[in-house]
Amino acid sequence: MFEIKRSTNGTVQLHGRFDASQVSTAKEVLSLVDNSCVVDFSELSYISSAGLGLLFATQKRLVDNGGALTLANLNPHIREVFRIAGFDNIFEINE
Amino acid sequence: MRRGFRREIDALEEVFRFLEDFVDEAALDEGAAFTINLVVEELFTNMVRHNTGGGEFIDLGIERRGDVVHLELVDIDVDQFDPTEAPKPAIAAEIENRRPGGLGLHIVETMVDTLEFDYETESRRMRVSVTKLLEP
Repeated sequence: MFEIKRSTNGTVQLHGRFDASQVSTAKEVLSLVDNSCVVDFSELSYISSAGLGLLFATQKRLVDNGGALTLANLNPHIREVFRIAGFDNIFEINE
Repeated sequence: MRRGFRREIDALEEVFRFLEDFVDEAALDEGAAFTINLVVEELFTNMVRHNTGGGEFIDLGIERRGDVVHLELVDIDVDQFDPTEAPKPAIAAEIENRRPGGLGLHIVETMVDTLEFDYETESRRMRVSVTKLLEP
């Protein structure tokens, strides 16, 4: 089960498991992000390269317009996947 | 454990349920379970997206032998395709010079101990096999 929503303070909250079958669901919310915001991973247990790819595309679009995503509260397994992907250069990641 | 899964991304839900049963049976810890889920998803979705031809199902076999998990995915009646020849992601590059693609296989290669692809021309059978050493 995967869920993504935007809270009133603008934070994007991810819940559950973000696998390749959930990309279109996530895209519906992330495509509406048009300025800097935090993505809260505290309730996310799993992500694969499909999710990384969508976050990367969103980040690239925002950076081109002077903004950026900040990622927060990644569990250690997800944090390791971001490190392997070389995304420490791409995102600000709050431990 | 072995089972065939429909050749579509939406079959992932069934794949993960199958892996959940394996994780319980093999008594894997949370970290190993995460890795196995990720490796299987990346390899399965690669086959769905990039293998041309192919039957209705992709076969997944997985077992634990001692401290090693062995898994394989088999796709029959597909054209020859070697994923290891795909361009590697420039993971050290800054965002301006990064391109999407290739990340899944890079993640798999980094997280497992062995990764082998083989292709039998006569049967048009592609097989990818993986071993993952479990941490004590």
